[in-house]
Amino acid sequence: MNAAPAIMDFPDRLSPMVVKELRQGLRTRLFGGVLLTLHMMLVLLTLMSGGAENAAVVSGWFDGIATLVLCIIMPLRGFSAVADELKSGTLDMLALTRLSAGRIIFGKWAAIASQSLLLMLSIMPYVVARFVFGGLDLFGEITALFYKWLIGVVIAAVIVALSTQRQFWLRAVVVFLPLMMGGCGAASFIMVSRMGGGMPPGTVFTVFTKSGGGSSTLLMGVGMAAWAIFFFLSLAATRIAPAASLLSVIKRSVNLVMLLSLLLLGWLTGSGADMSMMAAGVLSLLMMDALTERVNDVPSVYAAFYQRGWPGRVALWLLAPGWVTGLVYTALLVALVTVYVGWTRSVEEAKLVAVRAAGTWMIAALVQLFSTRKSRDLLPPFIIFWLFVNVVVATLGSLLLMPLAMRSNSAWFTCALPQLLPAGYAMAQPGDKAAFLDLGMLTACIWPAVLLIAAVFAWRHARGARQEGWRMIHGDQGGAAL
Amino acid sequence: MSSSVSNSAPAHEMDRSQPAVVVEDLHRTFGALKAVDGVSFSIDHGRVVGFVGANGAGKTTTMRIMATLDSPGSGKVSMGGHNVVHHPAKVRRLLGWMPDSFGTYEHMTVLEYLDFYARALGFKGADRLRRIQEVMDFTDLTPLADRMSNKMSKGQTQRLCLGRALLHDPQILILDEPAAGLDPKARVELKNLIRILAQEGKTILISSHILSELGEMCDSLLFIDKGRIVHHGDAESMVRGTETAGETLVNVQIAGEPAKLIEWALTAPLIKIVEETKRGARLRIQAVDEDTLAGVLRRMIQDGLPVLDYHREERRLEDAFIDMLGQIDKNTFKAQPPEIRPQKNAEAAN
Ligand SMILES: Nc1ncnc2c1ncn2[C@@H]1O[C@H](COP(=O)(O)OP(=O)(O)OP(=O)(O)O)[C@@H](O)[C@H]1O
Ligand SMILES: [Mg+2]
Repeated sequence: MNAAPAIMDFPDRLSPMVVKELRQGLRTRLFGGVLLTLHMMLVLLTLMSGGAENAAVVSGWFDGIATLVLCIIMPLRGFSAVADELKSGTLDMLALTRLSAGRIIFGKWAAIASQSLLLMLSIMPYVVARFVFGGLDLFGEITALFYKWLIGVVIAAVIVALSTQRQFWLRAVVVFLPLMMGGCGAASFIMVSRMGGGMPPGTVFTVFTKSGGGSSTLLMGVGMAAWAIFFFLSLAATRIAPAASLLSVIKRSVNLVMLLSLLLLGWLTGSGADMSMMAAGVLSLLMMDALTERVNDVPSVYAAFYQRGWPGRVALWLLAPGWVTGLVYTALLVALVTVYVGWTRSVEEAKLVAVRAAGTWMIAALVQLFSTRKSRDLLPPFIIFWLFVNVVVATLGSLLLMPLAMRSNSAWFTCALPQLLPAGYAMAQPGDKAAFLDLGMLTACIWPAVLLIAAVFAWRHARGARQEGWRMIHGDQGGAAL
Repeated sequence: MSSSVSNSAPAHEMDRSQPAVVVEDLHRTFGALKAVDGVSFSIDHGRVVGFVGANGAGKTTTMRIMATLDSPGSGKVSMGGHNVVHHPAKVRRLLGWMPDSFGTYEHMTVLEYLDFYARALGFKGADRLRRIQEVMDFTDLTPLADRMSNKMSKGQTQRLCLGRALLHDPQILILDEPAAGLDPKARVELKNLIRILAQEGKTILISSHILSELGEMCDSLLFIDKGRIVHHGDAESMVRGTETAGETLVNVQIAGEPAKLIEWALTAPLIKIVEETKRGARLRIQAVDEDTLAGVLRRMIQDGLPVLDYHREERRLEDAFIDMLGQIDKNTFKAQPPEIRPQKNAEAAN
């Protein structure tokens, strides 16, 4: 067995997927190229930083390069991670091994994250060198570098999740739209700062660097990042898992716990106000996930719940795969967050949270109304409608708002659309505000109602599967009322 | 090439009281298209079954559902006693699948490719090495171990793909057009591998367009057309089943342009052209008595055709297949019910 040494390069403990991705990844020219270019630039920069007068410029460039590599180039390597396997048919072969969908996706991500870590560690000596030469805040720099890596791996999770989408253009739009808008923002910022004089261009990229904050901020950051990674990877795993998978149970339970702990943390630390904003952000992600699962028609999925008596039957309504139970689940979460915000901040803000949630329900309702019945995949239309409504309508809306704002009128028309209401509310006349919100709430209710009607039909459609699932557990008794 | 590839490890759990494969009233639609339209059949343990049908007949779709890679619209499929929808994980353990597109990876050697799948299938340490070596010996890949997996010839890729499918010693093999694009030598090699696997008692379903070879390899053939099974039985019964009484097949070769023969046959009574060949044609003559057959030859010569060769031929599987499709179009084909036969060899099942 002369071949043995060649394949003992990675220990058995490592996930097979990670081994595969690393073998392939480390062999590509890209990784070597990035590594080499990065180091050449960093060596130059470190040598330049000898003179104290340009220390700020050098440090700006340093941050900029590190950010570019860790937060943009490395995560983008996941752009076609799953799509390529889908297209070449190799995902089928992976699925037939003992690797679960979750481990396949995790492996894809972990390979990027570990290569990214490798790059980050290779940058460390330069930080130390600059510390030795020029006395910079060593701990701060290292923390900043760590944060860049952390943000980079969260972005990588988002991009790997996105790569479960076959269509190249849809992935490209979702990735490059924010990148382009960010780029435009950065460019205009540079122009402005140039005119203002004296700011090094590298500073543009330092939005999230040199962040102070103690260990609790760090802990919070790591916690949130870990959850975000879980969220996007589990979303991706659901999309490639077989129909009989019960991933939604794990996913929704973890997400619920995450939301509850945010709220609890806010209550314990007395920072409920901050936490409620964070919770509202988390909520919109959870809604996207729960509302884009297609309704499951596999009997054994329902049987798994019926097996567990009445707790199982209750859990089915919240955790069973599919957007119908997703609607119930999101309704529960929205209620929870709304009450919490009302309690920690104000009733007005609670109402705004509810309206925003209705905005997400609206997207889901549009998907149900306008996407073809045949299409099983609800996420792409959801993303398209979301982009459309938020980008186009919001831009047009604000154009319409501008003249009204100058004449200081209340923009009543914004009540019609949940996405516009917060802006309209912000500029409404003080006397109108209460009535404004109530009207907005009222019209926003249309969307969950539409969704509910669609849900009733979809739920009835899957009735046969539920009954069959019931029969698998309980035989022919009962089950008629499912 | 070693003579066996069966793993020493115990076989994965499989209910042997039921047939290895049972497909009942399977349907699958893509939009308005009925790709699979009420397919039912069963395959006993240890049998080799050929899956035959025209392009787009629904072979791949059926096989993908059997391999848990697609969901049935309705109907039931169980493999080794496990329902493919309810227990995909159990089915996957006893199934080897070779798709029609053999996906290989960039930047990965043959050895690394097999190593990855062996890891993914749960093989560890020395056990993994041993298994990879067994499979490489069986498929004759050892000399290619360090080649890049995506830069090999079709036949080599094919063997790699078969090797991958065999790593976990699956009891049921689904091979989607394994012989497509192979040269005759590679095809013979593949046929030998499949014969060995069959001797080891594996249940094998092979789809292919190369009918003559399927006829040799398989215990029975499943014919599918427009999403429906139109015949399930062995090759001879297939050939006999589509035979029209009172016809004879003759192969004629002439000197010079074969077009002359075709022209002549088009106007001659009692004669139909089955297929044009390089130097003549295969003709179907509506007669069995030797006088009439001799009469046809006489007429050819009288009409000035330079006949070099004129002989009777056995009907081939291809003829039967084409005839059957023609009969289905004209609604004159009597579909035979899918048969469930007693196990071929009892020792293979044990
Ligand atoms: N994913 C899909 N989406 C839409 N139509 C499909 C899809 N897969 C297969 N079809 C259609 O279903 C029918 C059956 O296809 P299938 O691949 O099963 O045929 P096949 O018998 O394997 O043909 P071939 O011999 O060409 O491989 C075809 O008409 C095909 O166009
Ligand atoms: Mg096919």
